[in-house]
Amino acid sequence: MTDNMTLGERLARQGISRRTFLKFCASMASLMAMPPSMAAEMAEKLAGIRRLSVIWLSFQECTGCTESITRSHSPTLEGLLFDAISLDYHHTLQAASGTAAEHARAQAMQDNAGKYLLIVDGSIPTGEGGVYSTIAGISNHDMLVDSAKGAMAIVSVGTCAAFGGIPKANPNPTGAVAVSDIIKDKPIINVPGCPPIATVMTGVIAHVLTLGTIPDLDELGRPKVFFGDSIHDRCYRRPFYDQGKFAKSFDDEGARNGWCLYELGCKGPTTYNACATTKWNGGVSFPIESGHGCLGCSEPDFWDKGSFYRPLSTGEWGSGEILATGAAAGAAIGIGAALAARKRQDSITGGK
Amino acid sequence: MSPADVNKEHPLETKAPRLSIKKPQARYDKQGEMPDSERVEIAMKNFVRDFGAHVATYMESCIHCGMCAEACHYYVQTGDPKYTPIWKLEPFKQAYKREMGPFAIFYRMLGLKRKVTVEELEEWQELIYDSCTMCGRCTLICPMGIDIAALVAQARHGMFQAGLVPHELWAVAERAHREGSPLGATPKVFKERIEWLADDHEIEIPVDKEQADVIISMSSIEIMKYPESIVATAKVLNALKQNWTIRLDGYEATNFGLLSGNSQWQKETSMKIIDAAVKCGARLLILPECGHAYGALRWQGANMFGKPLPFKVVHISEFLAENLNSGLLKVKKVGKSVTFHDPCQISRRGGATQAGRDVLKALGADLREMSPTGNLNWCCGGGGGVITIHRADNLRYKVFEIKMKQVNDANAEMLVTTCSNCRQTFDDGQAHFKWDKTANSLLEMVADNLVEG
Amino acid sequence: MELLEFARGPALMWSLIIFCFGVAWRLVGILLLRRKPDLSEARSRATLWGGIRTVFSRIWVRKEFQSRTAYGAALGYVFHIGLAIVVLLFVPHILFIKDLTGLSWGGLPNGVIYATGVITLIALIIIMIRRLTHPVLKLLSNFDDYFSWVVTTAPLLTGLLATAHLGARYETLLGLHILSVELFLVWFPFGKLMHAILFAVSRGTTGALLERKGAAT
Repeated sequence: MTDNMTLGERLARQGISRRTFLKFCASMASLMAMPPSMAAEMAEKLAGIRRLSVIWLSFQECTGCTESITRSHSPTLEGLLFDAISLDYHHTLQAASGTAAEHARAQAMQDNAGKYLLIVDGSIPTGEGGVYSTIAGISNHDMLVDSAKGAMAIVSVGTCAAFGGIPKANPNPTGAVAVSDIIKDKPIINVPGCPPIATVMTGVIAHVLTLGTIPDLDELGRPKVFFGDSIHDRCYRRPFYDQGKFAKSFDDEGARNGWCLYELGCKGPTTYNACATTKWNGGVSFPIESGHGCLGCSEPDFWDKGSFYRPLSTGEWGSGEILATGAAAGAAIGIGAALAARKRQDSITGGK
Repeated sequence: MSPADVNKEHPLETKAPRLSIKKPQARYDKQGEMPDSERVEIAMKNFVRDFGAHVATYMESCIHCGMCAEACHYYVQTGDPKYTPIWKLEPFKQAYKREMGPFAIFYRMLGLKRKVTVEELEEWQELIYDSCTMCGRCTLICPMGIDIAALVAQARHGMFQAGLVPHELWAVAERAHREGSPLGATPKVFKERIEWLADDHEIEIPVDKEQADVIISMSSIEIMKYPESIVATAKVLNALKQNWTIRLDGYEATNFGLLSGNSQWQKETSMKIIDAAVKCGARLLILPECGHAYGALRWQGANMFGKPLPFKVVHISEFLAENLNSGLLKVKKVGKSVTFHDPCQISRRGGATQAGRDVLKALGADLREMSPTGNLNWCCGGGGGVITIHRADNLRYKVFEIKMKQVNDANAEMLVTTCSNCRQTFDDGQAHFKWDKTANSLLEMVADNLVEG
Repeated sequence: MELLEFARGPALMWSLIIFCFGVAWRLVGILLLRRKPDLSEARSRATLWGGIRTVFSRIWVRKEFQSRTAYGAALGYVFHIGLAIVVLLFVPHILFIKDLTGLSWGGLPNGVIYATGVITLIALIIIMIRRLTHPVLKLLSNFDDYFSWVVTTAPLLTGLLATAHLGARYETLLGLHILSVELFLVWFPFGKLMHAILFAVSRGTTGALLERKGAAT
C-alpha cells in the first residue's frame, strides 16, 4: 500500500542524514555520466518525490535478476532506492501471497493508473496459448498486456525479458518471447544481462525516478550510458589483446598472467554492458577479471551463437567431410568438363 | 585515276577539307577466296586442335599484369600497348575459354565470351606475325611462367589455315613447299653451287653418299647469300676426318611451315632431312647456322617422326664447341675483342647458350659480353619470319636500334653470331642505318682459323 | 537471423563449399585435357626439379628486367606481403585458420597488423589507379581484373573499418567483413584469383618443359 510521505520525510524518519543522502545522489549522478551539478538537482527532486509505485512482474525467469538487484554493495543505497519506490508487487520480496498478492497488484494499478512503473523479468511463453507459465491461473501474456495498459513505462530487466533469454534458446519449446515482442505502445527500457549488474538496474530506475524520462537508448532499447560501449573497448586486458598476448588454456602461463581471453572464446568485442567499468559486487570483479571469457549475456540469442569457448573469429563451417564432398563433386564436374571438351575438340577438328 | 578504280572498302572522302581515306586501318593480307565465315570456322578448328592441357594451363593463368610488354622489343621501342605479348594471343585465349575451358559451356550458354570474329583475326595478323619473332623473352619475364612464345607459334596454325598470313611470308612458305627451298635453292641449284664451291676452294664436299656417319643440313639463306658456310662446314668436317655427306633429298634446314603456321608443311620439311638421315644411316645430324632450324629439328623433329630419332641432332656451334673442347679440332688464336649476339632459338629457347662462347674461348677471343647477354640477350628482330614481311620493315628497324646500342656499348672489334637469319637481319639493319658494325659467322671464323693436321 | 550470425553460419559453410567445389572443378578441367608426348632427346632429365625450381625462381624478377618493372613489381610485393601479414599473422585470423585446419602459429601485435593493413590498402588503391591509367593495363583489363580487385580490397577495408569502429556498429562491420571474405572465396575459383593455385601449375609446367631442353627457365 502506497503511503504519501515524500522520500525526504521518510529518510529523515529513518535517521539517514542529508549528507549521506547527498553522497548517494552524487554517486548515482556520476554512475550515469551526468555532470556533478546534477547531484544537487537529483537530491532536490528525490527529496520531494512521493514514492513511485512499482509493479514487478516475474514470468519465465530464474529469479537471478532479483538476486542481483538485492546484492547491493551498500545496503544503504539499495535501501534508499527501495524507500524511494513503493514496490507494490514482487513475487519474491512481497509479504503477501495468493489472492492477497494479486489484489494488491490490482489495487496499485487502479490507484496509480497511468503513473506506475512496470518492471518485468523473465520471458513470456506464447506456445499452446501461453499455458507454460501462469500466475493465479492467468497466463503471463495476458497479465503483461493487462498490466501494461496503465504503466507509464516498462523496464525489461534481464536478457529473458529484454530478448527472450534462456527459454528462447533453440528449440524454444515454450515459444518464449521478449516483452517488446508483445507490448508495442509503451516506452520500454531493456536492461539485459544474465543477470544484469545491480547498479545498472538501480541506476536506470533512479534515472526514471529523478528525471521522469526514459534515458537515451541504443538500437536494442538499452540505456546507452550503461550499454554504449563493448566490453572489449573497456576491458582492462585490452593491452594484452593489442600486443597479441592470449591465454591458450585456462591454466596456462598466459591465463595466470591475466592475458586476453579471446582465444578461449571471450565475446567481449560484440557484447555491450557495463561489466568492464562498473563491474560486479561493488566493483570487486567481473567474469574476465576472474579468468573466464565474456559469454555475451546481454546480447539477444547469446545461447544460440555457438560455443562460449570458440573464438569470435571462428564460425560454423560444417565439417571436413562436407568440404571434401564438395571438392569431390567439383572434381567430378571437372572430369565431365574435360571429357566434354575433348569430345568438342574432336568434333570441331574432325578427329585430329 | 578514275573514281571507279578506288577500292570500295576504303572510299575516298573527296568533300573533306583534306583528301583522306575513310577509316584508315592496318593492312592485312588474305589468301584464298573463302568467305569470312569460313575463315573464322577454319581458324577456330585449328586453334582448337592445339588446345590441350598445356595451352589450357597457360590461358587460365594470365593475370593481366602487363609485365610481358616490358620484355618485348616491339613494345619497348614503340610504347604501343598492342604489342604486349599476351595481347597477341587474345583471340586464341578467347577461343580457348569459349570452346574448351572448364567453364566453357556456361560461357557459351550465357554469352559471357563472344565468338572470335574475322575482323579480329584480320586485326591480329600484324600482332601474330609482324611483331613477334617468338624470341621468348616474354616467357622468361612472366610471373606465371606462361610460355607466350610457344603459344604464338600455335596461334599461327589457325591463321594459316584461315588464309590470314602476311603475303610475303605465305609466298615464301609456299615456294619452299613447292620447290624445296624458300629462296630458290632447289636441289638442282644447290648441287650446282656445291660443285662450283668445291671446285673454287679446292675442297671435298661429298654429296649423296649411300652411307655416312654425319649428315649436314644447310639453310637457304646460307646457300643463296652466305655460301662460304658450306665451304666452312666442309673444312671442319674434313679436318676431323668425318665420314660425312650432304643429301640432296634432304638438306633444307629452314622451316617456313613452322614460321608461317602450316604444321603439315612443317612436318614435310623436317621429314625430308630425317628420311635422308635414316637412309644414309647417319648417327649425327648437324644443323647449320640457323635459329628456328634448331627448334624445328632438335626439339620438334622426333615428334614429326612419331618416335625418337635414331640419330643425334646438334647445332653447328655445339658440334664445334664439343670438338674444340676435346681438342680434336684445333684453331689459331684470334687476338681480337669480340662480342657475341645470341640467336634466340639457340641460346634462350634452345639451351645451347654456352656453345658459341666455348668456341670463342678456344679461338682465344677477348669476349666482351653485351648487356644483357646470354639467355637474356635481345632478339635481332628479324626471326620467326618477320624479315620476310616488308610492311614490318620500319618496325624492325626501330627494334634493331636496341641491338646497335648493345653492340656499340660492348666496345669490341668484332661482332659474331651463329644464325644466318640474325646475320641477314644485321646486314639489312647495317645498310639501313649505315652502321659500321658487321655480323660475322662463328662457323666461318672457326673455318678461317683452322690449324691443319 | 542477424547479419553477423548469418556470416558466421550458413554463409561461411556455403562459401567454403563453393570454394572447394569450384577449385576442384577448374583444376581438374584443365589438367585432364590432352597431352602430347615429347619424343625428342632430352638434354636434361631433371624436369621435376626444373619445374619445382621455377615455381620459386619466378617469385623474383630477373635482374635484366628489373629496371623496367621495378615499380609495378614493388607494388605487387607490398600488397601481397602486406595482405599475407594481415591475413596470416593477426591472431583472430590465425584462430580462424586453426579452427579450419588445426594449424596455428604465433601472431604479431595488433598495432603492426593495423599499420600493415593501411599500407596494403594504399598499395591496392595505387594498383587500381595504375591499372586504370597505364596503357598496357588499360588494354588488357576486363571485368575479372576489376572485380577481383574489389573482392580482395573489401575484406581489408571492412576489417580496418571494423577495428576502427567506423561507419556502423561493430557487429555490423564485423558481419560485413566476414561476408566480404566469403564473397572472395566464392569468386576465387572463377576468376584470376585462381592464380594463387595455378601459379604453381603454370610455372612448374614451363620449368619442366624448358629444363628438358636445357633452356633458360
